[in-house]
Amino acid sequence: MAFLTLVTVLTSALLLVQSPRASEYQVKAVFLFNFAQFVDWRSPPAQDPRAPLLIGILGDDPFGAILDETVRGERLGERPFEIRRLRQLRDIEACNILFISRSENERVEQILAAVQNRPILTVSDGDDFAKRGGMIQFVNDKNRIRLRINVEAAQAANVTISSKLLRVAEIVRTPPR
Amino acid sequence: MAIRDWPIKRKLTAILLLISGLVLVLTSAAFVTYEVVTFRQTMRNNLATRAQILAANSTAALAFANEADAREILAALKADPHMVAAALYGRDGRVLAAYPAAAAAGLIPAAPEPDGYRFEGGRLVGFTPVAQGANQRLGTLYIASDTKAVSDALRLSGIIAIVVLAIAMLAAYAMAAALQGPISAPILALAETATAASTRQDYSLRAPKFGEDELGTLTDAFNQMLGRIEEQKTELQQHAMKLEQRVAERTKELERRAVELQAANSELDAFAYSVSHDLRAPLRSIDGFSQVLLEDYGAQLDEGGRDSLQRVRAASQRMATLIDDLLKLARVTRAEMRTERVDLSGMARDIVADIERTTPDHQVEFAIAPGLEAEGDVRLLRVVLDNLLRNSWKYTGKQPQPRIEFTAVDENGDRVFVIKDNGAGFDMKYADKLFGVFQRLHSTAEFEGTGVGLATVRRIINRHGGRIWAEGVVDQGATFYFTL
Repeated sequence: MAFLTLVTVLTSALLLVQSPRASEYQVKAVFLFNFAQFVDWRSPPAQDPRAPLLIGILGDDPFGAILDETVRGERLGERPFEIRRLRQLRDIEACNILFISRSENERVEQILAAVQNRPILTVSDGDDFAKRGGMIQFVNDKNRIRLRINVEAAQAANVTISSKLLRVAEIVRTPPR
Repeated sequence: MAIRDWPIKRKLTAILLLISGLVLVLTSAAFVTYEVVTFRQTMRNNLATRAQILAANSTAALAFANEADAREILAALKADPHMVAAALYGRDGRVLAAYPAAAAAGLIPAAPEPDGYRFEGGRLVGFTPVAQGANQRLGTLYIASDTKAVSDALRLSGIIAIVVLAIAMLAAYAMAAALQGPISAPILALAETATAASTRQDYSLRAPKFGEDELGTLTDAFNQMLGRIEEQKTELQQHAMKLEQRVAERTKELERRAVELQAANSELDAFAYSVSHDLRAPLRSIDGFSQVLLEDYGAQLDEGGRDSLQRVRAASQRMATLIDDLLKLARVTRAEMRTERVDLSGMARDIVADIERTTPDHQVEFAIAPGLEAEGDVRLLRVVLDNLLRNSWKYTGKQPQPRIEFTAVDENGDRVFVIKDNGAGFDMKYADKLFGVFQRLHSTAEFEGTGVGLATVRRIINRHGGRIWAEGVVDQGATFYFTL
């Protein structure tokens, strides 16, 4: 019994230590969810208006249950949200929003090439993600999370980002090679 | 001055001003109220519109927790000095950004309140949802504006109302002063005419007529009344004049009659005097020659002859007395009168003393009140008292305890002298005959006398402007009253 209590206390302590990170991903989860409202996908007209809006997580999932909780019960219009954890590149085609975990940092270019010209909003908190051709990058700035957006990448993929969203973000370009 | 004593002009003006003032005040109040209500509504709508724009602009800032952007959006409110405060709350209810940046404590509510707009504590505050898309609420916008604009609007419309009110009241006063004329002018004219007519008693005045309304009717009626009064006054004056004329005529006639009467009277008196005077001479001859006959030839006559002669003498002597009395009466009428203060009590005592001295065999108890005085002619009044007292003395001759009083009473302000006896008296039905010449109520055999005395008395009293009358009961005495 005493052991169990100890385990609980230790677990709680561990959670407390992890709390800042958890808070960071909590914010990022909300941001991910909010992106859906400021982004317009040129979806094919025949698409079912009740088809779920798919958020894919590629690589190690840093959110845990947070993202699922954030979108639970929420709808965009009539579309419910759905979270999918992806392992393979070919699974990403159905996504509307694709979050690329830092664990995939090495093969970002490869992933982006795979989704090129598809109406998928690519998001990541990986270093220089936007400059490397990603659409939206989370940037940590003095305990705040800022956005960095590569508008050209989005335009190329037929993903329209609201000017309002652009207002609160830093615009970057892909440097010419 | 009490309101009811105000001149009618002022009353009318006051009424008109009061009514128009009331209407104006009510209208102005309605105007100001309408202005304020409308303004508040407009202000509320404006604030709501502005809040909606702000909310729409701040969706991304809220969605991505961008304080700087949120602050920048809110800072746009600087352009409007009436904006007091604003704030953006996140979904969790925490303040993301506030305006002004360094908002004083209490200016921004700690947590969002229910959506809506309301006036509270001199401010218009509102909470409006910030949402992107149809149902995605991102947070809440708080906005607060001062109500200076309302009070400014109120002040402006108040000033406008007061200025309009003042101008309108001035205009109303001018109009009232001008328009009360048709009502007050006839009344004033009427009042003026009435006052003039009553103070100067001039009923030929007429009030001017201004129109055919009720006041016109009143003026007509008043003028008719004045006309009637004037007619009646003229008539009355004519009557009075006629009456005066008649009185003058009558007076003239009376004067003429009086002159005639006086002439006739003095003629009569002269006639009586000369007759009496002329009668005495033959009478004296009759008596004288009868005496000579009796003394010189008495021896040659028998008893019957002498007795006849004696009777002739007695008769002629009686006739002489009669003539003397008549002469006295005539003299009384003709004599000059000298008016002075006369002591009647003293005069009565003298007469009584004389009576008692000459006729000691018939003693009478006299009671003479002291201090009786009158204005009149001494000689004539002596004749009056002498006659009346001797008259009473004579008629108490058959009374065992004769008593005569001379007093005076005051009756209706007149001094009335009274001579009262307990003698033979008289029957009241002959009272008016008492003072006529030769009128006698008793025979000479009973009481001697000529029947001239009381007639003389009455003449003297009349010449003094007085009256004489008598009361009596047979065998119980008589009372004579006279005034002077």
